[in-house]
Amino acid sequence: MDLRRRMFLGAGAATAGVRLIEPRTARGAEQQLLYLAEDVPAGLDYDGPSASTNTSQVGFLNLLEPLVGYPSGPTNAEGIRTLDFTKFEGRLVESWDYDAATLTWTLHLRRGVKSCAGNIFSADDVIFTFARAKSASGATPVGWFLGSVASVKGFTRDVLHGGDKSLGDAVTKVDDYTVQIRQSEPNHLFLTALAIYGLSPFDSQELKKHVTPEDPWGHTYVNTVNAPGFGAYCLERWTKGDEFVLRANPDYYRGKPAIDRVVIKKVPQSANRALTLRAGEAQLTQHLTAREFDGLRKARGVTVAGVYGNETLFLNLNFKTPPFDNPKLRQAFAAAMPYAQIAQIGYAGQARKWDAHFTSVLNGYVKPATQYARDVEKAKQLLTEAGFPGGKGLEKYADSLKLTYVAERESQLGPIATVIRSALQDAAIQLQLDPLPQTEFKTRSLVKKDLPMSLLDTEKPVGPDVVYATMLFFVSPAAGGINNMANYANPDVDRLFAALRGENDPAKRLAMLTDMQETIQRDLAWIPTLETKTQWAFNDKLHGITWYPDNGLRFFDLHLDA
Amino acid sequence: MSRFIARRLLIALFQLLGLVLLVFFAMRILPADPVARLVGMNATRDAYLASQHALGLDRPIWVQLGSYLGVLPGSHGLLEGDLGTSWVSGSSVASELRHRLPVTIELISISFVLAFLISVPLGMLCAIRPGGVADSATFAYSLFAGSQPVFWWGLLFIYIFFGQLGWAPPPLGRLNPMSTPPPFVTGFISVDSLLAENMGAFWDGLHHLMLPVATQAFVLTGPIIKMVRQNMVRVLGADYVLYARASGLAPSRIAGVALKNALAPALTLLGVLYGYILGGAVLIETVFSLPGIGQYAVQSVLDFDYPAIEGVVLVIAAISLFVYLALDVVHAVLDPRLAA
Repeated sequence: MDLRRRMFLGAGAATAGVRLIEPRTARGAEQQLLYLAEDVPAGLDYDGPSASTNTSQVGFLNLLEPLVGYPSGPTNAEGIRTLDFTKFEGRLVESWDYDAATLTWTLHLRRGVKSCAGNIFSADDVIFTFARAKSASGATPVGWFLGSVASVKGFTRDVLHGGDKSLGDAVTKVDDYTVQIRQSEPNHLFLTALAIYGLSPFDSQELKKHVTPEDPWGHTYVNTVNAPGFGAYCLERWTKGDEFVLRANPDYYRGKPAIDRVVIKKVPQSANRALTLRAGEAQLTQHLTAREFDGLRKARGVTVAGVYGNETLFLNLNFKTPPFDNPKLRQAFAAAMPYAQIAQIGYAGQARKWDAHFTSVLNGYVKPATQYARDVEKAKQLLTEAGFPGGKGLEKYADSLKLTYVAERESQLGPIATVIRSALQDAAIQLQLDPLPQTEFKTRSLVKKDLPMSLLDTEKPVGPDVVYATMLFFVSPAAGGINNMANYANPDVDRLFAALRGENDPAKRLAMLTDMQETIQRDLAWIPTLETKTQWAFNDKLHGITWYPDNGLRFFDLHLDA
Repeated sequence: MSRFIARRLLIALFQLLGLVLLVFFAMRILPADPVARLVGMNATRDAYLASQHALGLDRPIWVQLGSYLGVLPGSHGLLEGDLGTSWVSGSSVASELRHRLPVTIELISISFVLAFLISVPLGMLCAIRPGGVADSATFAYSLFAGSQPVFWWGLLFIYIFFGQLGWAPPPLGRLNPMSTPPPFVTGFISVDSLLAENMGAFWDGLHHLMLPVATQAFVLTGPIIKMVRQNMVRVLGADYVLYARASGLAPSRIAGVALKNALAPALTLLGVLYGYILGGAVLIETVFSLPGIGQYAVQSVLDFDYPAIEGVVLVIAAISLFVYLALDVVHAVLDPRLAA
């Protein structure tokens, strides 16, 4: 802050009786953090209507604590800490046993964990949370979904079609600190699902005070007032569409967080977020444009750092829409894509070519041997082999050769789409650009699955595991696939996916994982294009930023220099 | 006068009802599905159907309308003053609007008062000597102010007055985000802080309002000055002003009479502008991070949050109709023949 501004604001603040935004001094020796975000949580219920938005997730990720998590991994060259997804570590569950004969997990709960309301964590909270999930009573039944991913007994599709919504003996209390969960089949994704936010226990004693006969699971309370839990932070104040203020939970079982108070402030304009951070009036922000991040790299007192996590850019070509059912044509696309140019134009160099259909951080990742690189001559040759020499014959498919993307993200995706169109033209493939309104785009991607060609950069598996990601994107619907937008179907992939869920032998798992990833890569289920960095810009006094697969910050990880 | 007001209120009621029906059906014929937005990209087909059922979107459209209006047995709806629940936040739309609307009303009202206080004397000054230095300078100013959209001026003002000069606070909403706001009573920060006798919040609120109000007033003054000037020029050339001058009335008294007659069209413009700015407040709210109704409206549309969209349209239309009604009453006071 320059002297002139300091003098003016100092005088103004003295006159008005308000404080300047200083990280440490606002309340005595307290550490405070001002985080500028695109939005603040719209709701706090992970089974609620805003659960899928990252800005809402930040709320419940810090108020609730998961049953299990991942241990710390290495810190990358930019100072961002990563996690080790090959192992699990206990959170609210201290340890666990698995009995393969009875498909039963015994969870030993941590003792002495106190919620923001002062209640002690116990088996009742776990039972309540699983019963709430099985009820599928929220607007978006994420808890039920994770239960089904984990093959918890009774968490079947029937639940959503009038079937039994009671928990039954799927999750039972052995004593106050021991819970047993039964599975319907062997499933390697059990702990992966438990590590995802959608099964984080609520403080049931507190939440039950706010339920009503019409809303026995307290969805309205959690969506609009508070998510009572055992997390590192407690809710101090929440004004939807404006601000979300957290205060450190003094009784948090891993120790009181270093930052006492976190204010998340909605600042929709990324330029204003960058300007305010540069002026030293805030400590943290993200989701800036590539140019703004670049500008802040040179700013004094500001650090820009990132990590290659699970954010990607890819081209989705629908197998059900000719000519994209032609494997040679798909390969021609892959050979014509201008990988380096997109990384430069769309991400100011903060991206790298994506060599697989999975990012390298995921558990089980194996880099496939089959690789595609920009080679225009090869693209032309593949186009000829596909039956379209010099692009002749493609004019019949003009409706399919429309590259769609979310119109509201024109400033980011528009230039990338233009570069792709131009590059494919070099290989005699003519495209039209077709930006669609976000809601229409999502309807056609998710529900109808009829977009012939689309550019996507928001697909990321929150379960950091290749098998989980395969289930989301590449398994056919008949075999349990969830969001297979490309309508990709390969019986070998379906078979390997099913086998991997129940296979525990590491050597066999590795062989199957390698085979599955190679098959998907060879088939070009997508046209993987770039891995893009998840980036943050922050005051250089702030440390401890850790990347999680849901891309939500845990403020417990952070601390400020004195 | 009371019959005049009653008649206008009755017409306004029918206008609102027509608007409600129009918006209700218009949203549902658009080629987009709000459920897809809500459940996210990784939802199963079953979860999608469950959400669709939870929102009531699997019911026939007439049943949905009946439920929204509250005419179905056991349902609560618009006719009882219930605007429904936001599909995105789960909060009642009425409560969200109660928090959002005062922010916008406060910003716009103060901007209008300021713009009016600046524009009327300037317009009169220009009208006294058309083509003079003041007139030319004001013309150039109004052209300049109207040459760029309000968000552009906002960003420029932030860059200059916050980024470079440091005179304004950061564009972070109504108050310093690290401070504690006064308890919510009216939603108007200036009023609530006075009610709480929290002078720190009061001055902080004014400080944070300084730049958005200046930006909005800067853009608003252009057309108002032009309108006042044109009307004053016309009125000052009228026979009754010539007669007043010939009768030896004091210039200040003549100016007062002329102003009263010149203000009527300017007031109409103000009314139109108020409704227009209220509906389009999203730009200035976005630039200054103000959690007003404009941002809420745009977000609701992007999310296809039907209850929120319907609530916003209804409230903005009701306010616009109220402003027009108030202007009609003022006009009727200025010219009693209109109330006849």
